[in-house]
Amino acid sequence: MPHIDIELEKLQEKLLEMWDVVDYQLVSSREAVLNHDLELTRKVVKLGKKVNRFDVKIDRQCENFFALFNPVAVDLRQVLATLKINANLERIGDTAEGICRIVEKLKEPVSKELAEESRLLEMYDKALSMFTAARKVFVTYDAEAAREVLKQDKLLNKIYRKSDKVIASYMSENPEGVETGLHLYNIIKKIERVGDQVTNIAEEIIFYHDAKVMKHKSRKKKDKE
Amino acid sequence: MSKKEYKLEAKELNAYYGGFHALKGINIAMEEKTVTAFIGPSGCGKSTFLRTFNRMNDYIEGFRVEGEILLDSRDIYDKKVRVDELRKEVGMVFQKPNPFPKSIFENVVYGLKIQGIKKKSVLEEAAERTLRQAALWDEVKDKLQKSALALSGGQQQRLCIARALASQPSVLLMDEPASALDPISTAKVEELIYELKKEYTIVIVTHNMQQAGRVSDYTAFFYIGELVEYSKTKAMFTSPKDTRTQNYITGRFG
Repeated sequence: MPHIDIELEKLQEKLLEMWDVVDYQLVSSREAVLNHDLELTRKVVKLGKKVNRFDVKIDRQCENFFALFNPVAVDLRQVLATLKINANLERIGDTAEGICRIVEKLKEPVSKELAEESRLLEMYDKALSMFTAARKVFVTYDAEAAREVLKQDKLLNKIYRKSDKVIASYMSENPEGVETGLHLYNIIKKIERVGDQVTNIAEEIIFYHDAKVMKHKSRKKKDKE
Repeated sequence: MSKKEYKLEAKELNAYYGGFHALKGINIAMEEKTVTAFIGPSGCGKSTFLRTFNRMNDYIEGFRVEGEILLDSRDIYDKKVRVDELRKEVGMVFQKPNPFPKSIFENVVYGLKIQGIKKKSVLEEAAERTLRQAALWDEVKDKLQKSALALSGGQQQRLCIARALASQPSVLLMDEPASALDPISTAKVEELIYELKKEYTIVIVTHNMQQAGRVSDYTAFFYIGELVEYSKTKAMFTSPKDTRTQNYITGRFG
């Protein structure tokens, strides 16, 4: 295998290692919200440091790659995409950490009824499935599956837009649960952000493979491309 | 703590062409099985320095060195050192492919024959081994008796690398080995260097900065006979310490 491909493979491997740590953070944050598991929240927060180290390492690897190999065409797009995916993964890790910090402020687990009414779980599961699908298309590229990830973000936005009313009405009916309501609203907002970040990642994967710029395009245009 | 052993070292090396001071107080130490690239503008002394490692400059009238060049901690300019023995240990590949007007086979085993090796099986074994190492075997195995001059430029250069490897050196000096080749042949030679460093210590002079980036572990930047900066290639190409190095590698020199 040519030297340049060996280096590109190393870069991809490192990014996937980071991906798995962030995946664990995200899945664990869901468990922590549902079970009010404070041991798990500490674990997720601690892993943040590991993710930061990956972030720095991958940035450095990309910098070296640019300096030593002067990549062009698909190689260039791969390294550019890697830089941006790296930044988004780090943000998703931060978001999972942020959710865990909110859980630490909660006095008890979010009740099943409230979780259902606010569609928290549905949101979480959609965000997680988007995240897993993005990793899959990163490893084995499938143009259609990559575009499917972009479409899925719609549902997260929809739930988020409606959540303020649901939570406002919960708070007015349960004055003692105002704090819980606010925390829950923050969690929902963060999961909506995860959807955006995974969307960014999928856009970068499409850019890498198909040389198409998907970001800042309307939904209609994205569907067409 | 034991002192680190280096494959090649220069200590306070000064070289002169008559009254011209070509290399000024060079100190460098190269580890075994690494690739070191020498870069710098024309006339900076990089090729002169490369040629001190197998005493190729000895033939130039008025040339003299001061200081030490150590190969495996032995001074190669010591009077007891036999130059022919030294050159078995330190092979060299030049800018332009220079095969002899002989068959491919004869080219590869030329050095061995000069050393007095005549046994056919030994020569054949050496030819196959080195042609394989030079990633040329598959292309020439059916025409070993054909003239080496009938090969393409890229193949000729790999043949010269095979010829240099035949006497089983531990160091390979390469003076712009790809500058006369097309991009595909260049890529082949570069891949070859990457493979060969598993077994050999390689020093390469190159004008092509990208090539230095792609193939070398360490880079030394020379300017007007001085070694300005010597560090890991990654470090030099991302954050050079000296402004002159920075100006040179970014193409802003002069």
